[in-house]
Amino acid sequence: MKLTLDHAALLKALAHVQSVVERRNTIPILSNVKVEADSEALRLTATDMDLDVSEATGADVAKTGATTVPAHTLYEIVRKLPDGAQIEIETASGGQQMVLRCGRSRFTLASLPVEDFPVMTAGELPHAFRLSARDLCGLIDRTRFAISTEETRYYLNGIYLHEIKHGGADVLRAVATDGHRLASVEVPLPEGANGMPGVIVPRKTIAELRKLIDESDDQIEVGLSTTKIRFAAEKAVLTSKLIDGTFPDYERVIPTGNDKTLDVACKAFSAAVDRVSAISNDRSRAVKLAMTNGTLVLSATSPDSGSATEELEVNYRGEALEIGFNSRYLLDITQQIGGEEARFSIADAASPTILQERGDSGAIYVLMPMRV
Amino acid sequence: MSARDAAAAVTAPTPSPRANPELLGHEGGEQALLAAARGGRLAHAWLITGPAGIGKATLAFRFARYILARESPGRQGSLLSAQSGEQAAPGDLPGSAAGLFVAPDHPAFRRVASGGHADLLTVERGFDERRDRLRREIVVDDVRSIGAFLGQTPAEGGWRIVVVDSADALNRNAANALLKVLEEPPDKALLLLISDTPGSLLPTIRSRCRRLALQPLAMDIVTTLLARYQPQLEEAERTAVAEIADGSIGRALALAGAGAAHLHRDIGRVFLSLPALDVAALHRLCDDVLKQKDEGFAVLAGLIRWWLAGLARHAAAGSAGRTGAEEAGARAGLDALAGAAPLDCWLQVWEKTERLLAVVDSANLDRKQVLLSIFLDIAATMRR
Repeated sequence: MKLTLDHAALLKALAHVQSVVERRNTIPILSNVKVEADSEALRLTATDMDLDVSEATGADVAKTGATTVPAHTLYEIVRKLPDGAQIEIETASGGQQMVLRCGRSRFTLASLPVEDFPVMTAGELPHAFRLSARDLCGLIDRTRFAISTEETRYYLNGIYLHEIKHGGADVLRAVATDGHRLASVEVPLPEGANGMPGVIVPRKTIAELRKLIDESDDQIEVGLSTTKIRFAAEKAVLTSKLIDGTFPDYERVIPTGNDKTLDVACKAFSAAVDRVSAISNDRSRAVKLAMTNGTLVLSATSPDSGSATEELEVNYRGEALEIGFNSRYLLDITQQIGGEEARFSIADAASPTILQERGDSGAIYVLMPMRV
Repeated sequence: MSARDAAAAVTAPTPSPRANPELLGHEGGEQALLAAARGGRLAHAWLITGPAGIGKATLAFRFARYILARESPGRQGSLLSAQSGEQAAPGDLPGSAAGLFVAPDHPAFRRVASGGHADLLTVERGFDERRDRLRREIVVDDVRSIGAFLGQTPAEGGWRIVVVDSADALNRNAANALLKVLEEPPDKALLLLISDTPGSLLPTIRSRCRRLALQPLAMDIVTTLLARYQPQLEEAERTAVAEIADGSIGRALALAGAGAAHLHRDIGRVFLSLPALDVAALHRLCDDVLKQKDEGFAVLAGLIRWWLAGLARHAAAGSAGRTGAEEAGARAGLDALAGAAPLDCWLQVWEKTERLLAVVDSANLDRKQVLLSIFLDIAATMRR
């Protein structure tokens, strides 16, 4: 293998893929990044055996070939090379080394054979559709906070992406829950997604994907089968395993008959919850919401540190009601609500409560109350 | 570095089990696995048992490779050509079976050997960074990684295989965590547990696995392999080492690497001089051995075990208890020694020694004192 390319192109591609490689690895091949040159491009691939990210970048290839070298070392080197420089990469010593030259610097990296490198076979991905990066970010950002970290219910450790009919239209919906709260966000079903299987995308994949894309109008190509998912953005491609399990029938826990509504100004409410929660104890973090006609009193008490109350003007009509929530969960949700007003739909102090942005039916959050 | 790699580094050129294309003397076990795999009713968990160093892990990885290579899509041609390659290779060793063979240049073989196969998880003793050494047991976090591994879809589309090497090293919590996986494994998941002492495993683990008991290797296989991996050994030394290795090539190589043939002779002298114990000579011997750090002690401990087991056997059965594995000189000596005390005394000494040797590391005992007290105990038993 022998090629020359721009410093900036290599740095950008490397920055995208290297974060997948774990810092501490007992198996040498897993610390490496695969460096492949075909006739006109250099492709870098990194993996943690659960997902792989690969990115191609244009290069002036003199001789094709492939090898693997330590990812973090390569990144460190490239990061420190001067901007605008030309980098020359060549394999040496019969493939046991890779030499990198730039100006008057020369680095020799120990390499491992490319045959030893893990393979993520995507197989056939029968379902393919395009989604704007903005929509995809929305699906991820507004649901990922609710992903469970509990290992026993491993099927909750990801975002459930599926096709469903809602209000007469087909939608692509992302759902995450940890048993205390649930987030469900949807976008119109993209063309080609009809008949896609419901898949659970693991938390780590979500985190890596989010690093690759930003909220733009770029189109992301999504391909999936029952065992794999692939996201292709511009030049970077992420292929991942899925969680092998059945997502619970979450629709049963979304209440439909909650008759009491409470409308709050989202920002003011969230700031008030934040203030009051300073007093509540570290473990339960409970705050109490006491509502009467037109007013809401937030309060928290703690036997150790004292008590706090704050009053808010709200839009509530109906009998007086007291309900408790985990302040952390409340804040998580109100942070996702971008609009002015949030609406609570409550049945009673012991039943799940729905939170929504007023005027946005695409996102629903369900929160279990706490006994206070 | 894993425990296996560390062991492989000591006995220089031997391949680690995950990279060893060859397995000798376990055709029966291999056929059992092959039949189960071909029959389409593969048990989800196998417990591969037998003495240490006979090739249990090698068989486990061999089977894993076979399954992974068979399942990897679009590579059937490569697998078939690999098999014909095996037949063409000179069959210089007795009993090499083609059953589960996957050629070393097969992609699945390469990835299994490098540790880069995403559908194979090996659970072994982890590295303790605080203490800068391998942990003494497999801890619960290591086992929980199995749950995460099996909770995800396969990377290459076929089976997901977990090798637990070895199940004896599981601590109590880890064993219980493993049970959870053994009870409800997902589809197309295969667990291969390796155990030297299956009797010490939880009965609940044993009962959830199909048992595959491997026998010690035949003497000629051990000597053939010794000749290959330790070619500098002289014929007599090789035979002596093979004899005390009790059919375990791993043990034979460890013994040969540590110069056990000489040690065997020295310790034989000490045993045969019993009950008159030459304490000064014993001190010298212990000092010499302990200079070689852990390795020397392990070898000596192994030799003491071998002698005590021989003594107990002779005491139990008289000369009928001979296994034929002992040298002529040692045999006569053993008869005489064994006759000096009744069987129950020998068993007591044996058991006590085993217990002592088992806690040397965990209790951080003074190794020389341990060795001395073992010999003093044996001498006392004979004088009684």
